Amino acid sequence: MSIDSAIVLAAGEGIRLRPLTQNRPKPMLPAATKPILEHVFDQLVDAGVSELVVVVGYRRERVQSYFGSTYRNVPISYVVQEKQLGTGHALLAAESEVTGTCLAINGDQIVDSRIIGDVVRAHDSSAAATVAYLHRPNVQSYGGVLVEDGLVTDIVENPQDGRDYRLNAGVYALEPAAFDGVRAADSRNGEHLLVDGLSTLVETGEIVRGVASEGLWTDATYPWDLLEVSAELFEAGFVNGDPEIGGREATVHDDAVVRGPVVIDRDCAIGPGAVVGPGVCLGENVTVGANAVVERSVVDADTTIGANATVVECVTGTGVAIGPGSTIPGGPGDVRVGDTVYEDEALGALLADRVLDRGGIDYVPGALVGPETDIQTGTTVRGTLAGGTEVRS
Amino acid sequence: MCGIIGYAGGQADRNVVEVLSSGLSKLEYRGYDSAGIAVAPEVSVYKRKGELEALEETLPDGTVDALAGIGHTRWSTHGPPSDENAHPHTDCEGRVAVVHNGIVENYRELREELEAAGHVFDSETDTEVIPHLIETALEQGADEDAAFRQAIERLEGSYAVAAVFHGREEVYATRDQSPLVLGIDDGCALLASDVPAFLEYTDQVVYLEDGQFATIRPSGIEVRDERGALVDVSVETVDWDPEDAGKSGYDHYMLKEIYEQPRSIRECLRGRLRPLEGSIAIEELDGLARPTDVQFVACGTSYHASLYAARLFRERGVRATAFLASEYDVERLPLDDRTLVVGVTQSGETADTLRALRTASGVGAQTLAVTNVVGSSAAREADHAMYIRAGPEIGVAATKTFTSQQVALATLSSALTDDCSRQFVEALRELPDGIQSVLDTSNARAVAEEYVGADAYFFIGRGYEAPVALEGALKMKEITYEHAEGFAAGELKHGPLALVSEATPVIALVNGRKNTDRMLGNVTEVEARGAPIVAVTDDPDAVAGHADHVLRVPETHWRFYPILANVQLQLLAYWVANRLGRSIDRPRNLAKSVTVE
Repeated sequence: MSIDSAIVLAAGEGIRLRPLTQNRPKPMLPAATKPILEHVFDQLVDAGVSELVVVVGYRRERVQSYFGSTYRNVPISYVVQEKQLGTGHALLAAESEVTGTCLAINGDQIVDSRIIGDVVRAHDSSAAATVAYLHRPNVQSYGGVLVEDGLVTDIVENPQDGRDYRLNAGVYALEPAAFDGVRAADSRNGEHLLVDGLSTLVETGEIVRGVASEGLWTDATYPWDLLEVSAELFEAGFVNGDPEIGGREATVHDDAVVRGPVVIDRDCAIGPGAVVGPGVCLGENVTVGANAVVERSVVDADTTIGANATVVECVTGTGVAIGPGSTIPGGPGDVRVGDTVYEDEALGALLADRVLDRGGIDYVPGALVGPETDIQTGTTVRGTLAGGTEVRS
Repeated sequence: MCGIIGYAGGQADRNVVEVLSSGLSKLEYRGYDSAGIAVAPEVSVYKRKGELEALEETLPDGTVDALAGIGHTRWSTHGPPSDENAHPHTDCEGRVAVVHNGIVENYRELREELEAAGHVFDSETDTEVIPHLIETALEQGADEDAAFRQAIERLEGSYAVAAVFHGREEVYATRDQSPLVLGIDDGCALLASDVPAFLEYTDQVVYLEDGQFATIRPSGIEVRDERGALVDVSVETVDWDPEDAGKSGYDHYMLKEIYEQPRSIRECLRGRLRPLEGSIAIEELDGLARPTDVQFVACGTSYHASLYAARLFRERGVRATAFLASEYDVERLPLDDRTLVVGVTQSGETADTLRALRTASGVGAQTLAVTNVVGSSAAREADHAMYIRAGPEIGVAATKTFTSQQVALATLSSALTDDCSRQFVEALRELPDGIQSVLDTSNARAVAEEYVGADAYFFIGRGYEAPVALEGALKMKEITYEHAEGFAAGELKHGPLALVSEATPVIALVNGRKNTDRMLGNVTEVEARGAPIVAVTDDPDAVAGHADHVLRVPETHWRFYPILANVQLQLLAYWVANRLGRSIDRPRNLAKSVTVE
């Protein structure tokens, strides 16, 4: 069958992506140079969806002002989930915007249109819902499904019980009955989850179909995962990393070196002697100063990298200033988030929106700097710095 | 961006022209620089440059004897709006009329081919090749349906197309990569670029797919695929509030447009900055001689942008003055051929500004129009035109267009005086993020809550901030209907201070890098009268101890501080008006562009 409407869940902040989510929800974080959500929309439109219903909540104006009323000529309607009480609650907020069969998809994970197409093809109205699953290791960090003879027998978040779970791709075809299942499910710890609704359907004897699929599926759990997500997009050809193409609407000095895969968005300026790439994504209006070196980094819009700076395995928010001569030497480094230490992560530094590095600063690999932190010249940054502070050596 | 409407079913109790006009009015958010309709079976075309009202004036009184029709509203980004370029377009004989949304990429070849075959074109548009291609196919013996298909097969690019034919009561349509949706009702059928266009008639819709062809007639719709096979379509019911479409989930266009500012600034600056050289070049002004004097003529918000710009020019050693356009032509003006008269008008149709430009041109001055609308009267009549590229603005109170005017005029002041620096260019490039930062962190809503119901609102600023104080007050007046005044801060003690009381909050623009102490002196004057102080500042430390509330903006080049501060004032006015339940997008007694003197 064909399914015209898709409900896209884009209301949640993505708490584990802090401090990058201070000013925008996770779906608006950059994957290469575009928001994750834009990749999601692309795959939905490629799969034939002709109506997008987007559930927004946390910092929703960022989503609305970026996409407006249509995307690639597909109309977008916005539904506001005032409080983020879980994916099931978000889905129900959008129920009145769709009629008949619809798709539901997470707005913060990039899923190949082939996976969406597989769900659409496998679904018919004899099933209350159809779920795509993938054969992947490490399912315990994501959602898991157990499938027997094409039917889902169990569906859970973060499965820990050692059974043979497949990865839940987060792409669902839903009949109106599925909404009833979600409504009937109990909430847990104040969260009303979509998968609990599907479990309820399974428990009450409704058919929930599972369809095996394959294709790109990528999700950033932690901020530094944005590097890996962008690398996967290059590899899968979702983003063209040809240096001849990157930078066409940017100003690149003749004496700069641009090495692919690389993507350079509009209005960027790259100074003489700078070396950009490989594995670099420069968002709109980024400046790379003379003789700066940037490798394997996701640099978001309006960021400036000063002359002679070295930036390796770095993730930035928007409007960050990396001063002249600062050094982000690349991972591996230990990253501390709350009470947990993630060892040997491939992260040079993570600088949230509008960090102001005044130059000559050394970053110990794995450094996390909160938004609008003002770092005085000559400082060595290690560990985690809270946002909005002033830091001296 | 353009909008299309189509209707078949004139024998029902609805007048074809009325349905089309109403549909076009709902599509106006998609652009509004020209509009037109065509009806059948006696094909007649009515079209006009300008807003829908201009078209409505050209429509015949009483009912038009028609059974079907098509309509179009246009927002040109390339090529000027004119009566000729407005859709619908017809073939040589006027037997087929076509509206189109999208771009025909191969239109030059097609046009050359058609012209060689003797077809005569009336417009400069890519669209006009379509009716002539249809005419060719009809001449070769094809029926209407086949002729329409054969014409479409020749097109490369993106399109939504609708056509009516002489002697036929239906509308033919197709799409590829441009939106088109069909609507079904008893005894009639409709089509449009977007559902709101016909939502008042029906909520039963069919979304046409790329490559499909539709014929709409009073008895219903027929959809066929590329090979001509009948398609079984699914009819969906939409439950939209027609008012909401186009607002992208915002309650008002004004708020949407405030949040669009980082993007509209990027558009305004694109291609004009040379960041590596630290220079500014405005392509469309290559032939403009460097003036010795600059006179700005403008009204309302555009006048405030002009005051800001005049100061930038003066600082660079050019004599520059801003005039209210309505006051301009009554004076005997000292100007010569080295004087540049700059008309600043969002719509390019402001009657007072147009008259001032004509007056200046008549006495030998060079003229320049700074406008948002490509091919508007101002752009065509002035010797030169510079576009601010803010995109369509629907809210009557100007927001993003004011900001884009300020930014465009800042680049102009630099380009026309060859006075630029790397710092200036870098500061311009920082503006989109600076505005985004204000939008991300503004507490204007909470501050608005505090002061709803005040007796009056006073806005004060010095230097570059003075025009923005005027603009902040204008915004507050326009959409809240409350009393608000803006003053150069130094003027307070020469009169207005008598108005200040505990019930009149004073919104002070305190630039932390320029005139800070003098400005704080003025703040102290009003503090002494017990007025609550709202400081808009990039330096919260400086106002500590003075301000009851702070609206913070990020640090920037001191000349651009007022551009950022203004965003806070927009939000403040919006949230006060919202709290008062005002008609924010369409304030009483006001129109978007004032085309009467």
